[in-house]
Amino acid sequence: MVENYAILPCNGLDKCAGVISAEIAKKLCENAKNELICPVFYRVADTKYNKIAGEHPLLVIDGCPTRCASKLAAEKNLKISQKILITEEAKNHHIELNSGLRILKNENALIEIILIGLSKAEVKPAQVSDETITSYNFDYEIFQNGKFIFRVPKNPDIYYNENDCWAYVVGNRARIGVTDFVQQNLSDILYFTPPEIGDEIDQFGEVGDIESSKALVALISPVSGKVVAINESLVQKPEMINENPYELGWVAEIELADFESDKELLIGFDKYFEIMKKKVENTNG
Amino acid sequence: MGVERDKIDWKPTIDYSKCDYCMECTNFCPHRVFEVRENEEIKLIVRNPNNCVVFCRACSKICGPDALSFPDKNATTLRIKEIRKEENNG
Repeated sequence: MVENYAILPCNGLDKCAGVISAEIAKKLCENAKNELICPVFYRVADTKYNKIAGEHPLLVIDGCPTRCASKLAAEKNLKISQKILITEEAKNHHIELNSGLRILKNENALIEIILIGLSKAEVKPAQVSDETITSYNFDYEIFQNGKFIFRVPKNPDIYYNENDCWAYVVGNRARIGVTDFVQQNLSDILYFTPPEIGDEIDQFGEVGDIESSKALVALISPVSGKVVAINESLVQKPEMINENPYELGWVAEIELADFESDKELLIGFDKYFEIMKKKVENTNG
Repeated sequence: MGVERDKIDWKPTIDYSKCDYCMECTNFCPHRVFEVRENEEIKLIVRNPNNCVVFCRACSKICGPDALSFPDKNATTLRIKEIRKEENNG
């Protein structure tokens, strides 16, 4: 249940989703003991809200994928406990928002659904994270560009896709994550949205999101199969991906569905290292 | 992917009825897929579709008005595998 939280809405006045985010924030503060953070005032005077955000867990309500509220939280170095994205909630509940700026029937229905969801005590279904890959012995190659260091493991059991994600294959399982290229480009990672255990993932399907003040990046799974374990430590400490995206910062374990077929479209260390070097040079000059 | 890039149909499509020209996509994408045309009526186009990283949909995830879409991922995967087979057999 969202109580005794600091609530940071995007308050975007030029989009219906922004108006909804503000409305939900107001209702949360009227109906429970929560503290509202005004993003407009926060930009110009942050003493008051830094104190509130420091004393309460933070719920961020973004209206649209521009994620103004999340970006503001990142700029202010706030730790986000919970997030809502209004346009995503609308899609998930098959509710079409109007193109105007008024809260009408559909918008009210969505607000009700979101508030009911937030008012329920968080009861997560029992999830058994069946983690099996416990030991690593990675051998790294290093590429340096200015002050940035990019490490890439060169073990033959590690496969890459061109979306800068890796899969370490052991038997019928693969542990997956992002490469140094992703974490260096994102800079400080502030939020990790894991996949659900039991999710069936296609090759090149999305298997979690990683977010920094710069961008939100979806992890594109190199392999197909079922999610059998997630790195739960990342939910509390997403910065572990910055520390080491291959070991501490792994994202999920997948029970492989058809690795022989998936392998056709994956690359090994040699090719990925060359691709990554080109990307680094193109990105950083 | 083992297939020439211009044989893979993977690029963003802009829905101009939704796009509000905020230019977040072009600011975000490091691959110069988009081009801004300040003095034209249509101010944003997909200029370099082959620069788009196959299966990357990052720009659509940051698009506030949800104006960017991509081809079907599974159909693209299958097509790439078909092209590889054709080329290996040919």
